[in-house]
Amino acid sequence: MWRGTIALAALLAACGRLQGDDPVARMQARGTLRWGGDMQGGEPYVMQDPGDTGRLTGFEVEIADALARRLGVAAEFVQNDWQTLIPSLERGDFDVALNGIEVTPARRARVAFTRPYYAFTETLVVRRADGGTHGLSDLRGQRVGTLEGSLALDLLRAAPGVQVVLYEGVEEPYLDLERGRLAAVLLDNIIAARYALPRPALRAAGTVDEGVYAIAVRPDQPGMLAAVDGALAAMMRDGELRRILERWNLWDDRQPRLGGGGPLRPDGGSRPGLTLAYLPLFLRGAAFTVIISVLAMAIAITGGLVLSLARRQGAPLVQAAAGVYVEVFRGTPVLLQLYVLYYGLAPLLTLDAFTAAVVGLGLNYAAYESELYRAGFDAVPVGQTEAALALGMSRWQALRRIVLPQAVRVALPGVANDFIALLKDSSLVSVITVVELTKQMTITAVDVRGWLAPGLLCAALYLALSYPLSRLARRLERRLAPAPA
Amino acid sequence: MTVVSVRSLSTRRGAAEVLRGIDLEVRRGEVVAVIGPSGSGKTTFLRALNYLTPFTAGEVTIAGHGLRPGMSERRDAAALRAVRTRVGMVFQSFNVFPHLTAVGNVMEAPRRVLGLSATAAETRARTLLARVGLRDHADAYPERLSGGQQQRVAIARALAMEPVVMLLDEPTSALDARLVGEVLAVVGDLAAAGQTMIVVTHELAFARRVADRVVVLAGGEIVESGTAGDVLERPRAAETRALLGMAGDGR
Repeated sequence: MWRGTIALAALLAACGRLQGDDPVARMQARGTLRWGGDMQGGEPYVMQDPGDTGRLTGFEVEIADALARRLGVAAEFVQNDWQTLIPSLERGDFDVALNGIEVTPARRARVAFTRPYYAFTETLVVRRADGGTHGLSDLRGQRVGTLEGSLALDLLRAAPGVQVVLYEGVEEPYLDLERGRLAAVLLDNIIAARYALPRPALRAAGTVDEGVYAIAVRPDQPGMLAAVDGALAAMMRDGELRRILERWNLWDDRQPRLGGGGPLRPDGGSRPGLTLAYLPLFLRGAAFTVIISVLAMAIAITGGLVLSLARRQGAPLVQAAAGVYVEVFRGTPVLLQLYVLYYGLAPLLTLDAFTAAVVGLGLNYAAYESELYRAGFDAVPVGQTEAALALGMSRWQALRRIVLPQAVRVALPGVANDFIALLKDSSLVSVITVVELTKQMTITAVDVRGWLAPGLLCAALYLALSYPLSRLARRLERRLAPAPA
Repeated sequence: MTVVSVRSLSTRRGAAEVLRGIDLEVRRGEVVAVIGPSGSGKTTFLRALNYLTPFTAGEVTIAGHGLRPGMSERRDAAALRAVRTRVGMVFQSFNVFPHLTAVGNVMEAPRRVLGLSATAAETRARTLLARVGLRDHADAYPERLSGGQQQRVAIARALAMEPVVMLLDEPTSALDARLVGEVLAVVGDLAAAGQTMIVVTHELAFARRVADRVVVLAGGEIVESGTAGDVLERPRAAETRALLGMAGDGR
């Protein structure tokens, strides 16, 4: 199967090559240098101008503008998730990727780089109160945060005994460090200077390593590489790069050492494939997915029941409150709810990521379950309650012993379907640093530099989990289909 | 000894009066048949006797426990249960519990309300199911039972509380004609065994055979009351004569 996939990919690549002539000529004909970056990276890289929405600002925006000008075209920004900048570059979504991309051996094996435009260090940040941490060796067994797909991640993985926690934004790891959810954060000095050090509770504990940012270009476009690298070299020679960096307070004594060398062609290093060695990681991710889903569903089922009873039997104020709950939780994205629960409430209630994931999904799904129960209660004829009351049962007994079991039967297929949906929605908890199946897939995809095989493996595991459930749901629907007499 | 005492019972639905001052005394062991045209308030009257339908004026006393206008399911739960545990109710539409077997239906209230042990409740339930002719269907779920069988389960379920009075609301009117007989036979047996009963029915032949007294309800009032023979053979009220004539045409 893999051989077939590779043949197909080669065929497609060949077609692409046939159709495209010189990429530089194409760029000039189009009149824009399309460059990929992620606005979420924020200050000072690329961000939306707070004074003028729709405009971008940041030192890399200025570099892109200057490069484009020197190439006789205009710069055109293409928004792309930071983690997937390289695959998107390979797909041809833009001409170059320019967004704090660290030159690592793994990336060098895959794409071409211009000469570096910035030299950074990896800064370890800890809480000020923590006087004993000076380097990674002091962090054995501790949780250390960083960005997915970063050089810092490679360093942390190489450090023995460190538990790595992955984030997608630059602000969140420092928030969690302040709250005590992490022992340290390792990120580029630019990020540490802007996002960590202004916080009085945090301090820099030292420099772990250093590296460079460079502009990534497709490996099969040497002409584009030469053109962009040449423009960058000219910017360095005439001091424009230095002026940009100075304007953003980024110039330091490491920068003058840059400028030598030339473009970096792909070094043809090994391209690790997806091997069986990854399977345990995927199974672990799948286990997390199942555990989170089961616990969240338990909260959703009980919470939904409480909500539906509150709406049905509660005092007017209780009914109104339950109604508001259902509308709010159904009417806003679960992703937003997870953010608010984990980061927003952190000053009042510091939940660990796993608890926040389970509670967040559970509270969200409770709103949906309560609606299913409501439909279930409505389907039980009023004569059932009357018969129970006429036998001398209390209202609670009538509900608990007579109405509820029948309502649950009506709601059950819907609940099973919701559990399948929850299984997949649980992938959203990766935004609050929980590594479940989907997150494991994206991490692996970066490691093996390919999305297809990890994606298919991930999909196969989801199917293996959800298919038996959907069979069960269908069987329940069939078995419970005849309406109660 | 009087088991059921009803004084000036009135109910309204919105602005409309459904019952306008009903008076009735039922002695222990007596079987009272309530007949009357559709919409005369028969079902409302029966439901008011255990307050499933609230009433607006008057009073009801059953085995010494009183019901008054304006009671609330929440506030007066204890008083309502005191009456309801002593009153057995059989509904036109059976209302058996579909998620419980026949024996489960009959056991439920003795266990949960009277606090009987599971064994004691089951023994009682199986005895009663045998009494209504369902010994072999005790473990069946209602969906497997005919309407007549379901209604007999409902009768056994009501009897399991050992009620001082049974209220039967048109127990056969939802049944196919061929199933009516088995249910009426069971009700007849109960009457013969001395069970106090108030039966709302359209089955005049059954009323004539089983009832000690027949009460004719029309327009929310009792228009005639007397022995089955008097009321059904020598009706005095115009409404009764109309009802008997209509019933005769219908057969």
